[in-house]
Amino acid sequence: MSEKWGVCHIYASYNNILITLTDLTGAETVAKATGGMVVKAAKDESSPFAAMRAGELIADRAKEKGITNIHIKVRAPGGNGPSSPGPGAQGVIRSLSRAGLRIGRIEDVTPVPHDGTKPKGGKRGRRV
Amino acid sequence: MTYSFKIPLDRVGAIIGKNGETLKLLQERGKTEIEVDSETGEISLLDDSSPDPYLSFRMRDVLKAVGRGFSPGNAMKLLDDEMYYEEFDIRDYSGKSRKRVMQVRSRMIGSDGRTRRLIEELTDCIISIKGHTVALIGDIEGIKVASKAIIMILNGSEHSSVYSYMERKRKDLKVARWGF
Repeated sequence: MSEKWGVCHIYASYNNILITLTDLTGAETVAKATGGMVVKAAKDESSPFAAMRAGELIADRAKEKGITNIHIKVRAPGGNGPSSPGPGAQGVIRSLSRAGLRIGRIEDVTPVPHDGTKPKGGKRGRRV
Repeated sequence: MTYSFKIPLDRVGAIIGKNGETLKLLQERGKTEIEVDSETGEISLLDDSSPDPYLSFRMRDVLKAVGRGFSPGNAMKLLDDEMYYEEFDIRDYSGKSRKRVMQVRSRMIGSDGRTRRLIEELTDCIISIKGHTVALIGDIEGIKVASKAIIMILNGSEHSSVYSYMERKRKDLKVARWGF
């Protein structure tokens, strides 16, 4: 078998970035990496630099397991939170493609509320 | 798979350009086929046809930026790896009242565009204010400072304190960009 597919789930919030590499069904996890694993300062966890380092970790593991091609699912917090992925998402995808993994589809899987729950902060808003 | 979203009708012209020249350029630079419905303002990116999925992923931001008031030339800076795009909804900060949105937007621009110009100059970002949104293109360090400044203004900080915040951060920006 020359090519083996995997799915790379990227969850990019403003505070951190979580990457999970699974098989095509999504049930079996191949590798996990987060922004917090590669940098020491909490404020850098969501930076593109941390994202690239984490992406490299994932790419290494993928190659070990013989995965050559990946689909990507990008996700922002969604719901009541921000619905566009943080800057980390760009960094991960870039480092994955630099590492030689072939990228199939890039999909946005941010959960969108069909008018869901009340945003935090209460009726009178955040009082500082 | 296609990725589609809507942009305001008055920006459809900017995407298509004279005789479709801009659209052609966008498709060439992004190596992605783009479909534009000029009646509804719906943009579809046919990213199956793309040889470089990462590039067509970046095209999403480029087209959104054009929809939020950037010129296609400025928006295409986003195809550069180091550039990032950020969008703020004024209504999240001001509430739904049209009058209040307008007031906050005016504060964002400043008299004779002073506030907007200063944020752009001090952080090397580009800002577009259109309708109820503020959009921002810049590198990672600049965009961090600029979005903090924008949020400060949207939350009602005095202009002077925003300016002094940016002045303070300018040194850090220099260090981060050039290393001295």
